[in-house]
Amino acid sequence: MGVPYVPIVGLVGTDLLKRRDDMIIAVDPFDGKTKSVVAKALRPDVAVFHAQAADRQGNVSCGYEADVVILAEASKHVIVTVERVVDQLTEKEAKGAFIPAIHVDALVHAPFGAHPGGCAGIYAPDKVHMREYVVASKDDASFEAYLRKYVREVKDHQQYIEQFVPPEMRKPTLAVVS
Amino acid sequence: MDYTTSELLAVLLSREVRDDEISACGALSQIPAAGLLLAQAMHAPNAELIILGSIFNPFRTSRQFHYLAQRGELGLFFASGVQIDRHGNYNLHQLGPDIARPQMRFPGGYGGGMIYYGARRTVVFRTEHTVRSLVEHVDYISAAGSTPPDVLRHGNPSKAITPKANFRFEKDAGVLRLDTVHPGYTLDDIRDSTGFDLGVNGAVTVTPAPTAEELQVLRQVIRTKMIDTGTYAEWARKSLGAMM
Repeated sequence: MGVPYVPIVGLVGTDLLKRRDDMIIAVDPFDGKTKSVVAKALRPDVAVFHAQAADRQGNVSCGYEADVVILAEASKHVIVTVERVVDQLTEKEAKGAFIPAIHVDALVHAPFGAHPGGCAGIYAPDKVHMREYVVASKDDASFEAYLRKYVREVKDHQQYIEQFVPPEMRKPTLAVVS
Repeated sequence: MDYTTSELLAVLLSREVRDDEISACGALSQIPAAGLLLAQAMHAPNAELIILGSIFNPFRTSRQFHYLAQRGELGLFFASGVQIDRHGNYNLHQLGPDIARPQMRFPGGYGGGMIYYGARRTVVFRTEHTVRSLVEHVDYISAAGSTPPDVLRHGNPSKAITPKANFRFEKDAGVLRLDTVHPGYTLDDIRDSTGFDLGVNGAVTVTPAPTAEELQVLRQVIRTKMIDTGTYAEWARKSLGAMM
């Protein structure tokens, strides 16, 4: 990725297309007549995502969440939080998709960094917390209370894990495909 | 024979699946998932199935599925929407007359507006057949039934299926027309609960009811398969075979 735009079969005639100024209908430059939508490529300044493991050079194993490979390729800077830091990780050792260190600017060791979401193969989404999040997001006041409890009043990541990641989630679980 | 709405829809959807084709449904699609598995067990043993969010998915990434549809290799897709209109448009996004001020917002995003053009056939289904769900014009077009002839498009809507009737999409006219009425309903029932002209004059055929075999396979083989593979297991336990 990092190309200027991407053609798409679809979206013509939708209200989604009407409301997006980064997608237009264009003529195929080769046959000069067939029309399709082209979407302006996203070129994020910074991408931040969580992955299963990485080495100290920044080679990342991202398991089933392989769509982050495109995100890493498209972004100018990439910060990856990981469950596990290992000495050396090559494409051969990667479980699932692999992002070479050349794309990665910074690495953060953050076990349970995906919580309350899941990290495929390591832990499943925390459904109880997710329900609480959905309820809290209904209005500004309840969401503010959620942010206070889980973000603003938490000293650091270690405290978050101890307080909010359920102990049963901290045991190794079977692979979870999400 | 008694059956639930979910069982009826699963059977009707299964009949749309063709052998030797790739057929798929999205995430949060328990009825189509049951329909796909039923078709494979009944008449389409060589059908390739993709049930997103389950183990019945050969892909690791949504990009891989996206480009399968972009290439026109997807034979059939099952979609649903909060509204379906006479022109074959469906709405997965929002309700309300003013697009800028939705009265209700749904999770609809980009996927439907891509697959509707990429899949060779799309069957739109809806679990509610009322004047608010089957309308003349949807409040928001998430995917359009028709496009101008110079627009690249691999496929078109094929049918709309509800608990009361089947509609077929006529590509040249760009409209849905009533095809068959399910057992237990009259043409007047359909007219009263549909927000658009049915496009029929005279009698219409009755949809063949789910057969004993279809129901038995659905309630036993498919129910077990869904539970064992964690494919909408809770739903399958509750919804399939409840009337046995």
